[in-house]
Amino acid sequence: MSDLLELVVSATASGSIYALVALAYLLILRPTSIINFAVGEWAATGAFVGVAAQTTLAWPALDGPYWLAVIAVLVCLGALGWLVEALTVRPLIARGANITSPILALLGVLVIFRESLTMLFGADPLPSPPPFGFKRVAFGLFAGVPQQFLIITVTFVLFAAVWLFFERTVWGRAFEAVALNRRAAALMGINLRRVTTFAFVSGAMVAGLAGLLMSPLTSAHYMMGLPLAIQGFTALVIGGVGRVEGALLGGLVLAFVEQLGARYLPIPSGLTLGFPFVLLILFLFLRPSGLMPPREAR
Amino acid sequence: MPLLRSLRGALALALLLTQGAVATAQETVKIGVITDHVASAKFYAEPVTRGVELGAKMINQNGGVLGKKIELIIEDDQNKPDVSAAKARKLVDDGVVAIISNTGSPATQQAQTVSLETKTLHLTPANSADTLTTQLDDPYFFQTGPLASIQLATLMAYTKSRGFKDVAIVRDNSSLSQSFADSFRKGLEKVGIKVALQEVIPQGATSAVANLQKVRAAKVDAILQAGVLGPEMLQFFRAYQQLGMTEPVLGSYNLSIPAYLTMAKDLMDGVVFVDAFDADKPEAKAFTEAYGKEYHEQPSSLPAYGWDGIHLIAQAIEKAGSLDKEKLRAAMASTTNYVGAIGAKGTSWGFRDGKRTGFDPQGAVVRVIKDNQHGPVVFAGQN
Repeated sequence: MSDLLELVVSATASGSIYALVALAYLLILRPTSIINFAVGEWAATGAFVGVAAQTTLAWPALDGPYWLAVIAVLVCLGALGWLVEALTVRPLIARGANITSPILALLGVLVIFRESLTMLFGADPLPSPPPFGFKRVAFGLFAGVPQQFLIITVTFVLFAAVWLFFERTVWGRAFEAVALNRRAAALMGINLRRVTTFAFVSGAMVAGLAGLLMSPLTSAHYMMGLPLAIQGFTALVIGGVGRVEGALLGGLVLAFVEQLGARYLPIPSGLTLGFPFVLLILFLFLRPSGLMPPREAR
Repeated sequence: MPLLRSLRGALALALLLTQGAVATAQETVKIGVITDHVASAKFYAEPVTRGVELGAKMINQNGGVLGKKIELIIEDDQNKPDVSAAKARKLVDDGVVAIISNTGSPATQQAQTVSLETKTLHLTPANSADTLTTQLDDPYFFQTGPLASIQLATLMAYTKSRGFKDVAIVRDNSSLSQSFADSFRKGLEKVGIKVALQEVIPQGATSAVANLQKVRAAKVDAILQAGVLGPEMLQFFRAYQQLGMTEPVLGSYNLSIPAYLTMAKDLMDGVVFVDAFDADKPEAKAFTEAYGKEYHEQPSSLPAYGWDGIHLIAQAIEKAGSLDKEKLRAAMASTTNYVGAIGAKGTSWGFRDGKRTGFDPQGAVVRVIKDNQHGPVVFAGQN
């Protein structure tokens, strides 16, 4: 039993990270219909910015606290999200380009981010200091490390805040209106450009936060973006692209299938690598709208 | 006529200057180094190259070779085989008399096509692949790194000496890790130790708790860590600590890379790993002292490979008495009983019986990680 409860903590933490990346996809996808695969690289960038803020390596006296790393990640990633939108997406939309054009341009952004990270920080993985250490902690039978509990707490709080934003604020309703019908929303006076910018800024901030939260468990390394992009995308497909809660549910389902499968299924552990892809294919064929259908289908 | 005289004068001056430049160029002995500054072999290639640089500096301080200074020309192949061959050709075009390959084994393999064609002395001081001297019959190529088969035999001998009966192998999903794990499995079966399970931590995993829970449930005597990817290695050690596991962890030669100590800081104490360096050996002490003076830090074993490599080449040049390529090859091939910084106490290198792999079969050691440092030798050889 204690094995299972340890695994629940581990899978919930991993699922929370997938959910945050899925949320980053969703924040951009809903109002713009653009799938931005660069969110994985944005998460990696968040991890490196966090490490840079906390460990100056050569001058330990200048090492910043964790809260400073959080602010640095939100500010830097928000600025990068704005820059990417302004330089790649906005000009294409202004010229009336097909929706595939920004998607392809953002794939180019993915490459630029990855190579820039390698050039700036090198190819070696960088250790990322955890804010609360790594000693095992237990809440009853639920045991894990403090970072896992931090990830779970931050994710659930953030999802609640985003849910409230969409459900209870005018800005959130503007987002939803644009998602439902872009043209009609524009005719109603909603500033589409501003919504698009906000989508990229918020998506980049959420992705960066996911990277920052995950890095103490995995280190910050330039190869971390692609797996996160795949896991986040799979979580999005599982949960459904239309609802905030879907991203959270999708992330958790994916992580639980991965980790419970690796632990209890009588198969070689190497085969568990295929779980996300199997889930992705199953959902795309059998339930393309995901576990939580979008609002218009309700 | 005055114009003609001036032209003649200018030509004579140009000739003089050219001869002077040639004379200056010949005052150094150029040795090429192929390393990896940016890609997957960077972990070990850079420290090994640092050892080559330090060795060359020391040799030059002591008068150089054949009365000339050594000049290193360093090229980066990004651990890509095709680039490595191109860099080897560039080095030959630049006039090097020997090439030291510090990059990955597949890249070194490809660079051999150039050393064979151009009859250039070629040495790899740290590569461990057994096939480097068997896939291509290149008489100009020599290998002094501890062969994978020798490391494995030492690790298996140690595992058997500890009385382990059932073990688990944990690896990542890279091809190199799979190759390590396969070698471990075959070696263990050969000495009668059962592999109870093999766990794979995939690249990009966010937790290894499930994998290590399975290992814990199998109640094995020890865990053989065959991973090579840093982040997944970190996952392993984090989960090992989180689950409060106490099974001994045994690692490959790969764990001698110091970067793991930084990544998994304070998580690896007690881990044993195969190495080829005994810090108590006099030759190792001399190297450690020189390294400390130059870089103001304690070295890992990796720079010692490069240090030995450049000294071995310098010795071959002195022995050949010239820079003639054939004489250099013959001088290197005749090396016997060379005692370097690398290798267990009482062992030496040599290319006996026409072999081009010089590492002593008894030269590998098992060390333990202590206080986040590569600690003392706990086992040596294969007996």
